[in-house]
Amino acid sequence: MNFTSKIALLSLVTLFAGCASRPPRYDYSQFRTEGPRSILVVPVINKSIDVNAPDYFLATIATPLAERGYYVFPINMVKSVLADDGLSDANLVHAGDPHRLGELFGTDAVMYISIERWDAKYVVLATTVTVELNYTLKSAHTGQVLWKNHQIVAYQPQQNNGGGIAGLVANAIAAAITKAAPDYMPLARQANSGAINVKGMGLPAGPYDSLFGKDSADY
Amino acid sequence: MSLRTLILSPLILLVAAGCVTQHQRYDWGSYDPSLYGYYKNPADAGELSASLKAVIDAASANKAVVPPGIYAEYGYLQLQQGKNSAAIDLFKQEESHWPESKVFMDRMIKVASTPVGGTTPRSAAP
Repeated sequence: MNFTSKIALLSLVTLFAGCASRPPRYDYSQFRTEGPRSILVVPVINKSIDVNAPDYFLATIATPLAERGYYVFPINMVKSVLADDGLSDANLVHAGDPHRLGELFGTDAVMYISIERWDAKYVVLATTVTVELNYTLKSAHTGQVLWKNHQIVAYQPQQNNGGGIAGLVANAIAAAITKAAPDYMPLARQANSGAINVKGMGLPAGPYDSLFGKDSADY
Repeated sequence: MSLRTLILSPLILLVAAGCVTQHQRYDWGSYDPSLYGYYKNPADAGELSASLKAVIDAASANKAVVPPGIYAEYGYLQLQQGKNSAAIDLFKQEESHWPESKVFMDRMIKVASTPVGGTTPRSAAP
């Protein structure tokens, strides 16, 4: 075996190992102790300047959690009922006792999400849209943190390099359109998927997944 | 593209795909975009309501499971329109399909069963 093939083989092995064991792994011991079946998503903290971000984000969070196998409380109904109970202030709810929410809703776990960034930055002709989120799942029984994740997803609309002045104009138009109505939804979905569905860091399979309680090799 | 690259690239894709698990367990219809549309324009409650009903109808037509929360969301919109008995039926459906919802649904059934002056739903804070 010559030197080059050795290097090639080594890098291939590293590539495979990269998925199986190398990435940092979340400590699931508390999660495993409790094995939550249901998740209540409470109002989202907004650190961005886009006042609509929390509501828009809420429209993306039920499906990935339910698809992972959890019972997810009805997002919009929970939001309204909490508001009726005087609990629409996200900062207040996040600072409050998850045990109290457990009593009100009968949930096993509470998902606290905060929007760190939800913005579009314009540098001359290029636009970058960024969504950054923090996820914390707490037990409604013990108040312990069961799981945490952080995601930052940025999108730069494709640059048109082909057309001289025409290309520049096209870029300017694309940037203007994005500025008028940047579409954050695909980024929010991607962030959710990156938080929830990645082995070793995401959420273990929920009770409606056949791997429930059997995926400890990966989580 | 060399033969080696041809063989390696699907392999790498396969390895990368292995890191992410993804499957479609339920048919959500247009639930996500309708909820987004509703938050964008709260006057669109009718559209959200129609899309929730469509999810329920599609599941029963295909003998599939209605996704968690959908009966309840639909019931809550009914309650907001003062259709309390329809709301109660839907809350009971949610509860029978998803036992995890029992505490919340029992509370909301109680709210929907209590005759109040107006038709605005009020939650019962214990």
